[in-house]
Amino acid sequence: MNHFKKVMFVVVSFVLATGFPLMNALGQNSDRNAYFGETHIHTSWSLDAFAIGNTVTNPGDAYKYFKGEPIKHPLGYDIKIDTPLDWAGVTDHSEYAGVVQMANEPGSAVGKIPEAEPLILKARTKEEMERVALYAINTLASGPPVKALMAPEIADSIWKKNIELAEQANEPGKFTAFCSYEWTSMPNNMNLHRNIFFKGCAKVPAMPFSALDSKDPVELWNWMDGQRKAGNELLAISHNANLSDGRMFPTEVDTTGRPIDAAYAASRVRNEPLIEIKQLKGTSETHPLLSPNDEFASFEIMSVLLGNPPGRIPHIVGSYARQALKDGLALEDTEGFNPYKFGFGAASDAHNSATPYRQDNFFGGHSFTDGTIEARMSGTLVGGMFDARIEGTAGLTGVWAEENTRDSIFEAMQRKETFAVSGPHIKVRFFGGWEYASQILESQDWVKVAYAGGVPMGGDLPAVAGLPKTPTFIVWAVKDPTSGNLDRIQIVKGWTKSGQSFEKIFDVVWAGERKPDKWTGVVPPVGSTVDIENATYTNTIGAVELKTVWTDPEFDPSLHAFYYARVLEIPTPRWTTIQAAKLGVAPPDVVSATIQERAWGSPIWYTPSAEARKTAELGPTVAELMAKGAVALNDDQLKSLVVEKSVWLQNTVTGDKYMIIYGALGKGPDATPLTPSDPGYITQRFPENQGQFQVRYVGKNVALQSLTGDAVGASAFGTSRTYNINNGKIVTELVGTPLEITVYKVGDRYLGARSNEFGYVNYEIVPAESELSPLAAAPSEKPRG
Amino acid sequence: MRNLGADVKRWLREPLLHFLLLGAVLFGVYELTQAGQTGPVSSKEIRLTLNELTQMALLFRSQWQREPTPVELNRLVENRVEEEILYREALAMGLDKDDEIVKRRMAQKMQFLAEDVAAAREPTTAELKNWYERNSSKFAQPNRVSFRHLYFSPDRRGNHARDDAAKALARLTGQPEDSQIADSLADPFMFQAYYRDRAPEFLGKEFGPQFAQAVEKLAPGSWQGPIESGYGWHLVFVDTVIPGRVPVFEEVEPDVKTAWLGEQKARAWQKTYEEMRAKYTVLLPAPPEAINAPRRAQ
Repeated sequence: MNHFKKVMFVVVSFVLATGFPLMNALGQNSDRNAYFGETHIHTSWSLDAFAIGNTVTNPGDAYKYFKGEPIKHPLGYDIKIDTPLDWAGVTDHSEYAGVVQMANEPGSAVGKIPEAEPLILKARTKEEMERVALYAINTLASGPPVKALMAPEIADSIWKKNIELAEQANEPGKFTAFCSYEWTSMPNNMNLHRNIFFKGCAKVPAMPFSALDSKDPVELWNWMDGQRKAGNELLAISHNANLSDGRMFPTEVDTTGRPIDAAYAASRVRNEPLIEIKQLKGTSETHPLLSPNDEFASFEIMSVLLGNPPGRIPHIVGSYARQALKDGLALEDTEGFNPYKFGFGAASDAHNSATPYRQDNFFGGHSFTDGTIEARMSGTLVGGMFDARIEGTAGLTGVWAEENTRDSIFEAMQRKETFAVSGPHIKVRFFGGWEYASQILESQDWVKVAYAGGVPMGGDLPAVAGLPKTPTFIVWAVKDPTSGNLDRIQIVKGWTKSGQSFEKIFDVVWAGERKPDKWTGVVPPVGSTVDIENATYTNTIGAVELKTVWTDPEFDPSLHAFYYARVLEIPTPRWTTIQAAKLGVAPPDVVSATIQERAWGSPIWYTPSAEARKTAELGPTVAELMAKGAVALNDDQLKSLVVEKSVWLQNTVTGDKYMIIYGALGKGPDATPLTPSDPGYITQRFPENQGQFQVRYVGKNVALQSLTGDAVGASAFGTSRTYNINNGKIVTELVGTPLEITVYKVGDRYLGARSNEFGYVNYEIVPAESELSPLAAAPSEKPRG
Repeated sequence: MRNLGADVKRWLREPLLHFLLLGAVLFGVYELTQAGQTGPVSSKEIRLTLNELTQMALLFRSQWQREPTPVELNRLVENRVEEEILYREALAMGLDKDDEIVKRRMAQKMQFLAEDVAAAREPTTAELKNWYERNSSKFAQPNRVSFRHLYFSPDRRGNHARDDAAKALARLTGQPEDSQIADSLADPFMFQAYYRDRAPEFLGKEFGPQFAQAVEKLAPGSWQGPIESGYGWHLVFVDTVIPGRVPVFEEVEPDVKTAWLGEQKARAWQKTYEEMRAKYTVLLPAPPEAINAPRRAQ
């Protein structure tokens, strides 16, 4: 017995010392493993894929591709994945076919429907087959569709085949295949698509809810609630917010005009835990105009409308995730509900039953339109909509789950313990808590301690009473062993105050000996080993693994906030550079030659307690002002207040002061001609009531509230934007989305409310400043080092 | 003398024959039906039967778990009517002619029809076993290895990682797998220090393909390396290799059936199509420099 104990001790010590993760008898890992999966792919069974020439491969082939076997591209050549996946859901649309097979299944519901009777083989004879074939040809190929054959049990025989193939491809513990499909709502070319995933395949409905039933996401969510009540667990993942013309993340009304309210928010959060943040057709994280201080915001941007309707410019506001997360916080703070509390995934939306995930294996996603190097590199307009060269690789959805099974992976998606990658299998962990020790990463079992002492990505920081101290975050990332080294990990923070919302990006850990800027904390670029001419790079810079513990130096316990990790690789050649080198031509001038692949971890949210929130100094609301007898200025009053004046303003939330020059309003073509020496000579030719305004004195370190565009650039370079005065508002716009300012007179003060700030009045006209940045203390007291 | 009747009977049961016949039938029927097809296109009357309305309600109920309200049913009817009207108007205008999408869709339907008939037959176990014997290599499982490894990180050692690994190997020669000094020579690895019974595909994902391929070739029982992975350099001690094997039929029977069925469908479709194709003559224009009449394609 003693000897046995000794042996066990040695064995257990050895196991623990070598960091062997503790698994229970079922092979589950309580520390959770990262599993990479594809959540959005089309095969020849999607009518649009079929229409563009993928008539060859089906969901079975897609699963073969994901598991590592080569399959055929629609153009006939072999395609093979670089790194096999752990899980996937094929998301075709449902259509009817396979009627004969269905009718002839013994005991099938189809066989019992009277209209299917002619399709049933009474005997396996030549005559019977002829008869059935004749009827099938007459009904299917020639006459109008027999509606009885589109009954629920039949109309989705493609759907049923889909399920069959998913069941066949599903190997618990090795590869998980989900039953899934796409709901393709696209009212007026506004992309509102969602992919629907069922937790299991046993109770999948005979007919999934399609966009032919309704294009309204609220109706989809209602149907999903019904499914859940019937014991069929499911979730939705929206994608291509960047192509939604601003309708994916509304803050006032949805696409049917219904107000965004608590019920909408609850339904959305209940049914849509994730968004697909990157795919072939661009990235939806953020946009340079929405995040002017994010030097990595221009990653794989595509802003188009599906179907390329003439004469329409896609809207940016409402089309990006980071702004939606911020608006969600603002809605939570001002109205008590948050519809935009989602985690991140990524996928392809390829229509070839397969997709490239890596720059050096890019074969397009849309059959022949981008299926040859010539078609791609000659800038073919795919579907008439976008330049093939701007198309990117597919991303992937990573989940942290105990094991590779449907239940485990689905639950990870539901609790948002997921991360998106731009293609390479970068792994990232992110935890937030109140009690993490700063040396936690020094122990081998830090993951266990992290789970026990806080929440992983996708979670909410545990509620604390009163005013909490600063939360601590742990972030860890490891590169894809076949891709570039890592440059840095950033934490993107968003917060809200008084109806405004803000963001700031912190560089928290990075490769090499770089020193962050002493005052801003920004870490210099990692450099580049890319040889553009030969389209090569080397891993002589960057790191294999990065990890750190970080606390928010600007934490304000009274304000709602979110934090998410973004991991960047070193620069590597983009596929356009690689294929340009192959062709011996210059890399295209419409995209960047190099790319920094990345991962985005789902956010962790902080919600202040009621007590903490009370300490926030908020501006007055419009309602409060009106109750105090404030009067909104009319057009004439606004014009005499600001037009042809340089107005000093203060953002009362941040305290920042700046100046806006409101130029002269046009007088239209019939105005009295002036001479060139008249100041109004040029501007008066603008249409009536249209002028230009210019922002000045906004420095780079100012915490810019949302939707102010590039105020820093405008200040530095003297650029201007248009404005007009109508209906008692000063109206400007950001890529076609109007922003309106209403001015209130309170006593002898002029206060302004901006239409995107949820009813708060956050601006005041102030006396002119003479010193833009007064020094704080006497020179001898300046801080050193 | 052989029993011709029995042979013929067996031949008549041959599935491929059925497919050939079906192909001929489909083609023949298609020709017939193309001739005088008028259909109800000219009729301005849309008649919905009680059965069709019941089907609509059934469909609604299967999606919403409840009956439609009168307003909802009305909307369903109107949608159905609208679809029928547009369909007839489109046919009357000949919109189905020369429409690439319609052509492809109908071609796909033909393919589905052929595949459906192919799928309607259940194979016998003997057939599957037979097929498996000829195709068992497709189901072969790879070798699985168990090993301990030491990691030399470029993050900590920069360009010296490989040299450090080589120096460590010199000190470990002759040492057992659980040698106590091993850890002190190397760096902590972010995943596992010991892997049990792993196939190359897993190791490829975990370390990168080159490491997986190298480890596959290692002889067990000693420290070996330095071996490069996507993360840096390693020394590896393989202690067990479980050789790959071909499973017995009973272990993989469901997968065999799936694979067999897939092959049947593909062959059936190919044969059917070849039959149809043989009946057509394809004429292609000659290249510009040729002065002859258009050639016949093979």
